[in-house]
Amino acid sequence: MAALFDPLLIAIVAPLAVALAIGCGLPKRWSVRLAYVGFGIPLLMALHVWWHYSAQTPVSGYAFLRQYSTGLDGLGVSLKLGLNGVALPLFVMAGIVGFAAGLYAIQSQAERLKIYLMLLLVMQGGLMGVFASVDILFLYFFHELALIPTFIMVGVWGGRDRGYAAMKMTIYLTLGAMISLLGLIALYARSGANTFDLIALREHLARFPLAEAVQRDLFGLLALGLGVLVSLWPLHTWAPLGYGAAPSSNAMLHAGVLKKFGLYTLIQVALPLLPAGHAHWASALAWLAVIGNVLIVGFVTIAQRDLKQMIGYSSVMHMGYAFLGIAAGSAVGVGGVILMMVAHGLSVALLFQLATCIHHRTQTFALDEMGGLARPAPVLAALFVAATFASIGLPGFANFWGELAIFVALWKYSPLITALAVSGVVISAVYGLRAASRVFFGPATERMNEVASRQAPSDLRWSERVPALVLLAALLFIGFWPRSLSPAINPALPASPVAAASASR
Amino acid sequence: MTFNPFSVIALAVPLLSAAVIALFLRRRGAAAAVVSAGAAALLAANALVLALGGHRFTDSAEWLRVGDWTFTLGVKFDDLAALMLTVVGVVGLCVHVFSLGYMRDDEARGRYFGGLSIFMFSMTGIVLADNLVMMFLFWELVGFSSWLLINHYHERQSAADAAKKAFIVNRVGDFGFLLGIVWCQARFGTTQLDALASATEGGAVVSAGIPLLLFCGAVGKSAQLPLHVWLPDAMEGPTPVSALIHAATMVAAGIYMLCRIEMLMVPDALTVIMWTGVVTALYAALCAVTQSDIKKVLAYSTLSQLGYMVAAFGLGSLKVAHDDHFHLMAAGAGAAMFHLTTHAFFKALLFLGSGSVIHGCHHEQDIFRMGGLRRRMPFTFWTFTVGVLAIIGLPGLAGFFSKDAILYLAWAKDPAVFGVLAFTAALTAFYMLRLWRITFLGEARGEGARDAHEGGLTLTAPLGLLAALSVVSGHGWFFNVALGGSFDGIMDEVVHPTGAAHSVILATSIAVLLVGAGAAWILYRPAGDDALARRAPGLFGLLGALRESFDRGYGWYVAKVQQRFAMLLNFLEQILLAGLIVRGLAGVVGLFGLGARALHTGNANTYAYWFLLGIAALWAAATGYLTF
Repeated sequence: MAALFDPLLIAIVAPLAVALAIGCGLPKRWSVRLAYVGFGIPLLMALHVWWHYSAQTPVSGYAFLRQYSTGLDGLGVSLKLGLNGVALPLFVMAGIVGFAAGLYAIQSQAERLKIYLMLLLVMQGGLMGVFASVDILFLYFFHELALIPTFIMVGVWGGRDRGYAAMKMTIYLTLGAMISLLGLIALYARSGANTFDLIALREHLARFPLAEAVQRDLFGLLALGLGVLVSLWPLHTWAPLGYGAAPSSNAMLHAGVLKKFGLYTLIQVALPLLPAGHAHWASALAWLAVIGNVLIVGFVTIAQRDLKQMIGYSSVMHMGYAFLGIAAGSAVGVGGVILMMVAHGLSVALLFQLATCIHHRTQTFALDEMGGLARPAPVLAALFVAATFASIGLPGFANFWGELAIFVALWKYSPLITALAVSGVVISAVYGLRAASRVFFGPATERMNEVASRQAPSDLRWSERVPALVLLAALLFIGFWPRSLSPAINPALPASPVAAASASR
Repeated sequence: MTFNPFSVIALAVPLLSAAVIALFLRRRGAAAAVVSAGAAALLAANALVLALGGHRFTDSAEWLRVGDWTFTLGVKFDDLAALMLTVVGVVGLCVHVFSLGYMRDDEARGRYFGGLSIFMFSMTGIVLADNLVMMFLFWELVGFSSWLLINHYHERQSAADAAKKAFIVNRVGDFGFLLGIVWCQARFGTTQLDALASATEGGAVVSAGIPLLLFCGAVGKSAQLPLHVWLPDAMEGPTPVSALIHAATMVAAGIYMLCRIEMLMVPDALTVIMWTGVVTALYAALCAVTQSDIKKVLAYSTLSQLGYMVAAFGLGSLKVAHDDHFHLMAAGAGAAMFHLTTHAFFKALLFLGSGSVIHGCHHEQDIFRMGGLRRRMPFTFWTFTVGVLAIIGLPGLAGFFSKDAILYLAWAKDPAVFGVLAFTAALTAFYMLRLWRITFLGEARGEGARDAHEGGLTLTAPLGLLAALSVVSGHGWFFNVALGGSFDGIMDEVVHPTGAAHSVILATSIAVLLVGAGAAWILYRPAGDDALARRAPGLFGLLGALRESFDRGYGWYVAKVQQRFAMLLNFLEQILLAGLIVRGLAGVVGLFGLGARALHTGNANTYAYWFLLGIAALWAAATGYLTF
């Protein structure tokens, strides 16, 4: 029986199956109950693989490796599932964030809740698939599977400007995805290995590397397409607008998990397969990221007056750090990016959830119209403050490790860029603490008193607390115990002097 | 990998206390207070056992490895760490006990005591850290606990602003600190203190940039010019917090950190550090003269004394004749740590004394509305008097010895520094006597002062203990006999004046004491207004403007430069990127028939349709790419 148990496939299929059942007309009462299962199973599977990962003997660096025929084997397409050290942390994070987003959606009382849950479950299935796929085409397929519900959810359940936001998001993300697909297919075509299997591609290209000019073009194509998806400046403007309009669970999943697809693909595919391409583009990438994402977007974040837009921009800014780690390219830098992706996914999801909880109590996202919310809602205040400090990189939360490792790696790449990048820690403290202070501290504004007189703001209900606590617990756990992830990550990183030395011993 | 159990206790006890309070005792203030105070008592006892029991050890465990970079959680417990841990433990316990009484009626006692426990955890971490990254980690955490505790009365806008300002200004310093750490890591391949020491002893050349960047951290945390602006505002926090965090321990962490990285110091860096300290000492003493809030006077006094310590460190090492040969002593670090220790006791005493006054006067903080407290609060009066005498350097009390060690070092190394520091000492005597006389003598001038009353035992007992320490902690026999020479590793580096220099220093320090205190005694009488403002309004205004200059400058920068720059970028962002390019792009897409309106429908079929079509088209393109 053990041979039949594939936690990765179960994690992908369970939410999709539940979505299908709901789509087939399950009554609402049962849909909601089944949704718990649909979000719960991926989490359980994620925790299962996390727990058992170290005991596995990886094949070509991948554990839990399984292959399912798709009938397209001639083209080199097969559903090959497995986790390496880059994928495992993100798979686990996807499980946790998906669970929290699902729980929050179930209690959200959204209109047409059934369809809302169904779309979210499709997204969850796609997300688990993204990080479990060893086959590049399926990697892309699952990404697209998760992306399409995003457009619909923004367009239908979105807030202010949802029409424009949905259109803009769709155009940007579709274009980005298509450019990356073009890059991936060209890589398939140019490698001559006749396979989308990442393991086989790696082995093949290690023996027959692509010509430098080809590597350059391909890396440029991938960096452009994936750059749009990860909101590399100046291709980022869809992000704050889209997140500002997106319904909360959708924003949690997209900003937290789906957006990591681009970085993940760069690390899994572009870095190992196209080293010369990376060397060619690293400098441009680093300057765009530090001047654009960290500094310009950092200042733009300071100027935001809308809480959700502020969080959206701050997320764009943090992606700058991720690009910097990738530009540095060393084992420390890439390892830092992986840690940071996990941490950022958890913390930005937490922030988006709590922003919606705040909106329920203030009826506004405008920071100028809030104030003094800590008195009626101390738990909400404590959680939001914790999430803010996590996202500005306070030690004790997971985010600290990623940022620190990226800075360490970046110094060897360029001290000047490091100095510019580190100044971001001041910028993020400014906007983070300013927002927390505007919402929760000081006296209440007149507008806030008016809202409170109609309906006194209450503290978080337990149904709102549980998803937030799940995310916070994960942030603290990794923050205090980073070794829960790092031993798995290390073998998957680009070879470093130490790794080489220990291998030769 | 086995850790010394004492160091585990030192870190785990306050952390557990904070966790228990956060999870279970949020609304049970009384229980939270007991848990937190119990943890502080255990920590203090543990610190004393460790420090005086001759335990000296190093430990380390790998905590994270990414590529070839490792972060270890390590402990370096030498005499320097032992001294600092003892100070933190003892003052921490006093403040916890004081808080039991002072915060009795506070609604948010749970959060307050939880915050104190987080602080004790973080501060212990800084003290024990054996590498710079670990120190930075706990460094940030004390910054957080400081934010939390300044923000305690968060309904007050001023408290919320002060907390935010403290954290952001500290982050500016930490920007340099972090860069310095990263540079150090790249230069030496490690940030472990012992490894750095052996590298520099082995002749490794250190660029002045590394120690100066690391020093930025101390400028923020120890509130040196130009990042001092957060500390006076931090007085918005509860008074026991001001005593513990913003006077005795956290703000001194910068000096402790400098002593930890002494091996990286080069002459150029030391000169910068010295003058930063000297200027801060003088500037803050000038500011203290015009304050009317009892806590603000003490806050500027703290700044000034921290400047003293930084200056002492910057003075650096001294060649001392020792049995026919010369011996290089880390006199700067020794004198700085000595003054840190005595200052921790007498400044905590003064702050807790001011807390007792504020508590007794029903939250009156304006000294011109006090007066006559000598009779109504005799215990507070006498212990506060001890604190005042200690800080102004009355011979025989703690401050006298540590200040003399610094003055002597300055005398031996740089006459200009000596002159400024001596003048600062005179100012110290001046403003402290002013504070003391106006607060305690004369007749009661305000409602609060008229029915002032002494607090209970929890308020007075810490004052008594700290007063005793303020008397004895400067004497050689206290360290050598009473403490059994446990801290010789650092105390032996303190250079005491001998011979002719001794007479000069003694005469100077008595002279500045008499001049400063005498001038204050003549000028100020217990009255409802400031005598200096009445008699020399020009000078008073000048000092006030001097004090405000930095805040004005930063205020101007934030409002007029940073905010406008941010608004401008935001405007460009919205117009150029969001408007022009995207709508332009949408137009282009529309031309190709994809049509914005089709995408508007939100219809799943449309999306899926375009998606599949797109894949097919791209597949064709890619295959074409193959055949070229």
